[in-house]
Amino acid sequence: MKETVLLTKRMRDFPSDSHLIDIYEKSNGYKVAKKTLSKSSPEEVLKEIQDSNIKGRGGAGFPTGTKWGMLVEDKEKYLVINADESEPGTFKDRILLERDPHQLIEGMIITCFAANIDKAFIYIRGEYAKPARRVQNAVEQAYSKGYLGKKIFGTNMNLDIVVHLGAGAYICGEETALLNSLEGRRGEPRLKPPFYPAVKGLYMKPTLVNNVETISSVPWIVENTGAEYNKLGVEGSTGTRIFSLSGHINKPGNYEIEMGSSFGEFVETLGEGVRNNKKIKAFIPGGASAPWLTGEQLEIKMTIDDVAKNNSMLGSGAVVMMDEDTNLVNAAKSIVSFFAHESCGQCTPCREGTTWLEMILDRVASGRGRSSDLELLLDVCDNISPGLSWPPKMTTICPLGPSAVSPITSLMKNFREEVENMIPTKVLL
Amino acid sequence: MNEMVKINVNGIEIQADNNKLLIEACEDSGIHIPRFCWHKRLDPVGMCRMCLVEVDTPRGKALVPSCTTKVTPNLVVDTESEVVKKAQEGVLEFLLINHPLDCPICDKAGECPLQDQTVSYGPGESRFVEEKRHFEKPISISEIILLDRERCILCARCTRFSDEISGDPLIEFVQRGNKTEVNTFPNEPFRSYFSGNTVQICPVGALTSTSYRFKARPWDLKATTSTCNGCTVGCTVELNASQNKMLRILGVDNDSVNQGWLCDKGRYNFEFLNNQSRLKESLEKVNEKFEIISNKDLINKLKNKILNNENKVKFLLGTNLTNEEYAAFNEFSALISKSKSDFYLSDDYLFNGYFEKNISLATFNNLDTADTIVIWSEDIKENLPILYLRVRQAVKNGTKLIILGHNNSTLKDIASDFYSSDIIDENFELKVQPENLKNLKDAVIGKNVTAIIGKSSPYQNKKSLDLLVSFLNENSNLSLLNSFSKGNSFGAFQNLDSVKGLPDLCKDFEEDLPEVLFIVGADPIGSSVLTNKITSILEKINCIVSLDLFIHQTNELANYVVPMNSTVSEKEGTFTNIEFRSSKINKITPSPGKALSENEFLSNLLSSLGKSTDFLSVHELNTKVAENNFNQVNKITFDELDKPSNFDGIISGKEVNINCTFFIEDKSLYYVGRKLYGDSVTQRNSQSISILGSKKYIQANLSTIKTLDLEAGKCYIEQNGLKLSSELIINENIPDGLIYFPINRRNFVKYNFAEKINISNISNEDILSVQ
Repeated sequence: MKETVLLTKRMRDFPSDSHLIDIYEKSNGYKVAKKTLSKSSPEEVLKEIQDSNIKGRGGAGFPTGTKWGMLVEDKEKYLVINADESEPGTFKDRILLERDPHQLIEGMIITCFAANIDKAFIYIRGEYAKPARRVQNAVEQAYSKGYLGKKIFGTNMNLDIVVHLGAGAYICGEETALLNSLEGRRGEPRLKPPFYPAVKGLYMKPTLVNNVETISSVPWIVENTGAEYNKLGVEGSTGTRIFSLSGHINKPGNYEIEMGSSFGEFVETLGEGVRNNKKIKAFIPGGASAPWLTGEQLEIKMTIDDVAKNNSMLGSGAVVMMDEDTNLVNAAKSIVSFFAHESCGQCTPCREGTTWLEMILDRVASGRGRSSDLELLLDVCDNISPGLSWPPKMTTICPLGPSAVSPITSLMKNFREEVENMIPTKVLL
Repeated sequence: MNEMVKINVNGIEIQADNNKLLIEACEDSGIHIPRFCWHKRLDPVGMCRMCLVEVDTPRGKALVPSCTTKVTPNLVVDTESEVVKKAQEGVLEFLLINHPLDCPICDKAGECPLQDQTVSYGPGESRFVEEKRHFEKPISISEIILLDRERCILCARCTRFSDEISGDPLIEFVQRGNKTEVNTFPNEPFRSYFSGNTVQICPVGALTSTSYRFKARPWDLKATTSTCNGCTVGCTVELNASQNKMLRILGVDNDSVNQGWLCDKGRYNFEFLNNQSRLKESLEKVNEKFEIISNKDLINKLKNKILNNENKVKFLLGTNLTNEEYAAFNEFSALISKSKSDFYLSDDYLFNGYFEKNISLATFNNLDTADTIVIWSEDIKENLPILYLRVRQAVKNGTKLIILGHNNSTLKDIASDFYSSDIIDENFELKVQPENLKNLKDAVIGKNVTAIIGKSSPYQNKKSLDLLVSFLNENSNLSLLNSFSKGNSFGAFQNLDSVKGLPDLCKDFEEDLPEVLFIVGADPIGSSVLTNKITSILEKINCIVSLDLFIHQTNELANYVVPMNSTVSEKEGTFTNIEFRSSKINKITPSPGKALSENEFLSNLLSSLGKSTDFLSVHELNTKVAENNFNQVNKITFDELDKPSNFDGIISGKEVNINCTFFIEDKSLYYVGRKLYGDSVTQRNSQSISILGSKKYIQANLSTIKTLDLEAGKCYIEQNGLKLSSELIINENIPDGLIYFPINRRNFVKYNFAEKINISNISNEDILSVQ
């Protein structure tokens, strides 16, 4: 199994300075945008994206072409890049921001051309200080070259890009919470309807919200045509995808591959096997929100549909491997703690439920569990995500609450004995 | 109204208002869905998740909050399915895990939505064995409001009220997740005029008021609906009393008037009722001191004073009487003297107003349907607070707002135009003709306009107001509210044969001093800018009879003082508001000592004078009021007003008897106005809010302060030997060169605003030496 390098090519060719505009221009940079703006029509660009069948790389996997097609016509429209990469285990947008920011900017220029937008934002998580600096510098360089601002590349197109830093909240990766945060409000998900920012988004105007990786793919797709992109990967999961591999493996890191091979193959070849030649007990296929799969399920193909068929999700492309020595109760507890910490507090089941789950797991993990705690855990989960099904139903406003439920249901479904073993036996004296 | 469509709720087909929120539509059909965050008068947020119901969607059944889901044709809803019940029980359990079990000492217990809904929908037992979330037990977030964050369930009702309704978002959510709490911003207390509403709508005992805290249990309270007589808005209220003591006032949702809200003054300005210093006996002044006199002796003495002086008996009335009592004085005056008598009303802002036949008079609901609202009056937030909320509401729903004058700057943010010192001079005269104001012209010509018009200052000449009103009346479809703001002024205008103001009193009495002057519930010496003149006149009158609740600056000069029942909770009667809407004032507590109601006193006096007395019973007077009333269709009798169909009150005939001929002739060198809280005798004696009206301050913008070579901070105000220490505060909304005096702060009316007042900063040494 080998990598297919489309988005990460430049950073490999120029390991130390791929973020500079000179290097970017030297390696074919901004040519696609220049050509598109002068020679193509917005409809042609949209068609290429639709032909590519690329799906959003943020986690939900919504077809990008469809999203763009839904954008409502209005005097004011916006493009917002979701660079609030916070899903535990995910670090692929980071390298794209840090090491190839111009690729993103070029993608944004083409996107805004296709959607007739003249104002765009890049919302970067507050913890990404270095990537944010690099992106800010790149934006300034692009302005100085006339690639941003008024009449870019000498055409009639105007585009301004604002780089905005978050303040350390996972929930701001949820697109409507991101928009609230960008507007200066509390980062809390908005009520649905309106369901799509493409109808009512930033400042209640039609807004495209796209992930960094998605938009970074745009220049390649437009240059090489959507049909070429569609040939990569498999049906339903076309193109390449950057997977962030971590956990108990020998060579963790970001790998850009075509979707379609199995998790097991991925770990054995690119990941160079499990640490200390242990066996995998469980793994997370797509970020902390995704239900876990077990060591027996490593043969599942890394495609959106295959993982979905197995009641989990490919999500943000964060693959976390846990070997046979892992204490899964602790693992679940640490994920639930994360979600409890990141709950925005707006709706009751998530605010109260996630913290309660954390408390119960903490008790169980530290050997103070009660035999009734297993049913209690599942019932509290059920009150956040009724039926404990996948995809989750929810009593909450957004999927953060149900995300905290995933590790617990995975644990209880596949490793119940391990949890039971942690409950101390009551000795009558 | 929207069209009605069929929906299916729990297997039963019902008719529902299309596009209405599901929770409301179900309520209309008698199906109650539990809720915490949803409130009829606030925008839905779908946060508490208590109102989850199942609806059929193309992808199967889905749990949705009924407070954010709208009715659509053929919607199938289940509010009682197992899934719904489990979800609701789950939400309640989540809310309860961190809610303290201090119900036994919580004011809300007994009328607590969390308690009630736990009983109806909640789990029976607790499964939570961890330690609950802790916060410091109640913290003061203002002088009158306390917040217990442990009890808070984060429904955002209070924060939404402050943001959406009152427009002073001084409380907000801080922190996030499980640590989320409601709090104020650093060094900015929750000093809102409407903060009491948040206590009323809090679904738990998190917000409490200093006024009612630990005073009673809800099941011990007696309740009656009544009308607030604090200003001319006439909010519908519920009076709560226990053991013959008034304990609380709540806002009642009268769709046409206050829509459930109250200002804090209306809510808390009742505590004086229980104050120990209330008058309980009649007093006679003997050798410059008051001594107790029996009512019988008093009546006899008054009889002798009145006999032979019938034409020299005059009346200075306050604005807090009921319609029936105004009618009683009118009858009394007619019975004792043959000539028609004038009644003087104690309000500096009184003038003849705009009641001509060719002007159509507005109701509050006109604000909602108007294209444009035009305001030129005294500050409505300070003097007609609920009207201020109604204006905000109308503007939020798309009505344009145009303001003239420097008052009402709190509406500046939402006004499309704010014509201040550029076009209006320091004495509130227009410098530009209304037709030359382009934006005003564009917003009114050919449009539906509701105008709120009144004097911005006691010194304002009505010439410019006339100009504006005739411009509006000629060019738009105008409906107008005369912004007289004090109590039952409109009841006085209707039920007295002739009403005059204090300038008339000064002129009339200088020519012809009365022998006997009745001063009823009025303190002009403590409140009128004509105080010096009035004092010198009153000092000359032989016999002054004051009917009042307390001793104050005016009745210190009286010869006789008679204790009266308070209109708040001690009388039955009717009230007429600014829209000429009549509603009922009800009694729930007895009056203290030998206090009487005005008509009882007048009846006794009449019978001693040998006149027939039967008709001065409240019910007889009410019949009289209803008959006097010019609208023959809807009689404002007690029986009619008590009918549920007349819950909003009855709009009565809109004719008034105001006969002002004189105005204050002086030109003021200063900008004066009345604040909501002041130094009135009732407020001074209402413990929890007395402090809010006690602070003395003056305001000016920074450049004025600099021009005068002053600094913001402590200062002395001095004129003709009257020296008060005060605070000078920067307020950039005050036009250049003007200094603002809130004239209802203690002793401020004693200054002559037509002459220069010296203001000087107090140095640190001065402060030390004073202490």
